[in-house]
Amino acid sequence: LTQRRVVVTGLGAISPLGEGAEHNWQQMLRGASGIRLIDRLDVSTMEVRIAGEVVPLPEVEEDGLFPRLGIHSRFALVAGREAWRDAGLLDEPPEPTRAGVYLGAGKGIVEVWRIADALKAAKAGGDFDYPAFLRRAAETMDPSRREQERYYQAGTHLARAVGAQGPCWVCITACAAGNHAIGEAAAAIRHGDADVVLAGGTHSQIDLMSLAGYATLGALSTRNDEPHRASRPFDRKRDGFILGEGSAVLVLEELEHARQRGAHIRAEVVGYGNSADAYRSTDPHPEGVGAELAMRSALRSAGLEPGAIDYINAHGTSTSQNDAMETAAIKRIFGPRGEAPPVSSTKSMVGHLIAAAGALEALACVRALEEGILPPTVNYENPDPACDLDYVPNEPREARTVYAMNNSFGFGGQNIVTILRRYAD
Amino acid sequence: MRKRVVVTGLGAVAPNGLGAEAFWEACLEGRSGIAPIEGFDATGFPVRIAGEVRGFKPVDWVPSRKALKIMGNNIRFGVAASQMAAEHAGLKEEPPDPARYGVVMGSGIVPTDLEEIGDAVLASLDEQGRFSTRRFGETGQKMLFPLWLLKHLPNMVAAHISIIQNAQGPNNTIVTACSAATQAIGEAFRIVQRGDADVVLTGGSDSRVDPLSLVAYSLLGAVSVSDRPPETVSRPFDRDRDGFVLGEGAACLVLESEEHARARGATIHAEVAGYGSAFDAYAVTQPEPEGWGASRAIEAALRDAEVSTEDVDYISAHGTSTLLNDRMETVAVKRVFDRGTRVPPLSSIKSMIGHLIGSAGAMEALVSVLAIRDGRVPPTINLENPDAECDLDYVPNEARELNVRTVVSNSFGFGGQNAVLVIREYNP
Repeated sequence: LTQRRVVVTGLGAISPLGEGAEHNWQQMLRGASGIRLIDRLDVSTMEVRIAGEVVPLPEVEEDGLFPRLGIHSRFALVAGREAWRDAGLLDEPPEPTRAGVYLGAGKGIVEVWRIADALKAAKAGGDFDYPAFLRRAAETMDPSRREQERYYQAGTHLARAVGAQGPCWVCITACAAGNHAIGEAAAAIRHGDADVVLAGGTHSQIDLMSLAGYATLGALSTRNDEPHRASRPFDRKRDGFILGEGSAVLVLEELEHARQRGAHIRAEVVGYGNSADAYRSTDPHPEGVGAELAMRSALRSAGLEPGAIDYINAHGTSTSQNDAMETAAIKRIFGPRGEAPPVSSTKSMVGHLIAAAGALEALACVRALEEGILPPTVNYENPDPACDLDYVPNEPREARTVYAMNNSFGFGGQNIVTILRRYAD
Repeated sequence: MRKRVVVTGLGAVAPNGLGAEAFWEACLEGRSGIAPIEGFDATGFPVRIAGEVRGFKPVDWVPSRKALKIMGNNIRFGVAASQMAAEHAGLKEEPPDPARYGVVMGSGIVPTDLEEIGDAVLASLDEQGRFSTRRFGETGQKMLFPLWLLKHLPNMVAAHISIIQNAQGPNNTIVTACSAATQAIGEAFRIVQRGDADVVLTGGSDSRVDPLSLVAYSLLGAVSVSDRPPETVSRPFDRDRDGFVLGEGAACLVLESEEHARARGATIHAEVAGYGSAFDAYAVTQPEPEGWGASRAIEAALRDAEVSTEDVDYISAHGTSTLLNDRMETVAVKRVFDRGTRVPPLSSIKSMIGHLIGSAGAMEALVSVLAIRDGRVPPTINLENPDAECDLDYVPNEARELNVRTVVSNSFGFGGQNAVLVIREYNP
């Protein structure tokens, strides 16, 4: 029995840099930034006033399936349909029962003001009056809207949109979710559970509660006066990540299936590692023990020595902790600067798309392998002694690249690493 | 070379019993855990009953008081069930290699703690009583619990379990509504099968007996508003059913590679033999009425297990007690099994605990394992007048002795995700 191989045959994206996989890639090569002052909400009194918003929000034709979709579902439909088209599957759809959707998703938008009325009714007499709350909530709540914010909705909408009747899987491993979906989708194809899978992530979390929540944890940059320069992974003056939003979706396909229909094969998924820090729910492991374990598992699953890796797309969030931890973990496996491959963080341009981040980074890896160009880490100006690798600062770089490693480390300690290979017969 | 995957530990926190054995016994006795809601005052609301977990003391299961503060109920239930399962499997005395020890859990939404956000929202209202984003920034947000966000990240179920068990291997949380836990167990099965871990704690935990969920589900028309005695409201396959009853709780299974379990001399309770999943690609809040997605998922699981329909002795039904599900499931089961042979008996424990959504599939998988171990299957209680279109053997009202070697456990999600496990007697 020969091992089934998994290749990438389609790409789609919508991010703070705009719509379209190719547009996103070209913007990354220009070192463009999608970080701006938040426009969608009045944030004048908030500590954090910048984010990577998708402007304008996409208006999706909904095929009459459901009147109002959550933003995360709209993003996934835009990116997923693009990937499906890019793979040539619109013209020759696969057998529906052999097609699946694997998506990383995250907490939907928390619109607390929607229950303000009910809360007011509940607190009118001092103590919390639950019967009053229930009465008022039943009068004011729109349950279908609430239903649309559910994590899994984007996955089911996308599966319906392309008619995929195979596995429909949604994970929520925070910042690692998009990359996680790609790793598990590849494993599912290899096992024979499906032949074609739309895999990626989608997320929108630019809302007051999330901005307040992350800011209280000290995780967000407050460089409000210089939005473009706020996301600066590995730079000594980094002060936190910037919330972004969007979606990226890849078409993963079993190699023979892709060959038989003459699909354009962009890259191959060859490695996947998954680990947990098992440290604290509030912080990543300071030495990156879990990150190291995931990288080593991915190398082992690909049957590769560290020296084979030509490029690492870092998790690189621009927080003091992550970037130093990630650097240390990479060095323990790959050696110091000179021995370790170049590392860059595309979050420097789009911010942190949380559940979609790893998927957009996988897309950047695929394009880097195809073109032989590494995307830069922008805003890299002040070397940090704790971050002393080659981060491809500020300018893209031509480099023959056969194996790219994609790192994603989640809040809560979940670490996902995938390895992609330039496709050759 | 795919590894065989066995079940070596069980844990449960259920509305009708704390601990896997207490829960199992209650199910065999046909004891319902559905009662008037005690968690908050639901007086006057159309829905006033649920399957709540009672008598549960989180401090018995969570070692760190500090961690307890950032755990919602669903996380507490999940942590407790995983502690029980790890102990039952003997993993406390001989912990597995941390790098080869994983956690995959099904989960649901994390309910908003109203009393916690109430003050913050009220402080953000302007003179007209409308929510003001400006005021939220000025005063409201400062009244939030500082670790608010951490408490509400749904992936925290598996994260907390991994910390307590020092499980550093593959880790995941899946949230595909009513099939989440079955998908989680299926994924854990695959992880061990392909050799990415030796031991995985898997299952589900969920708690939606909270005011907001209660309002939302009742407006969607999915939950029962019956005035019957609470313990008789959940009546899958009965003519007089009128919706499901919300439940809460968690169940956890220890899945382990056969070789790892045997090497350490662990007691093996059953084998996970197959997994299949399929998507309806139909409507948002309804199962496809002909159950094509459901039957494809059952067939995929049987194929994966290399088991024929004749070999199946019992089906742990999804059986939600909604008209649509129960008829659809009956049609789907008949399509798969009724080919000149016999349809095995099926029963729904949701008749006793209600619908635990993100953990439902885990409760049912656990019952499947124990049915194999003890040669008994739990009843569908409250089945007095079968629906004319539900004409199978649902093991009405009384548990039954049955030589159970192979079980099919069904989960069909609200949004159309169908996931099915095949669990069988372990034979070396």
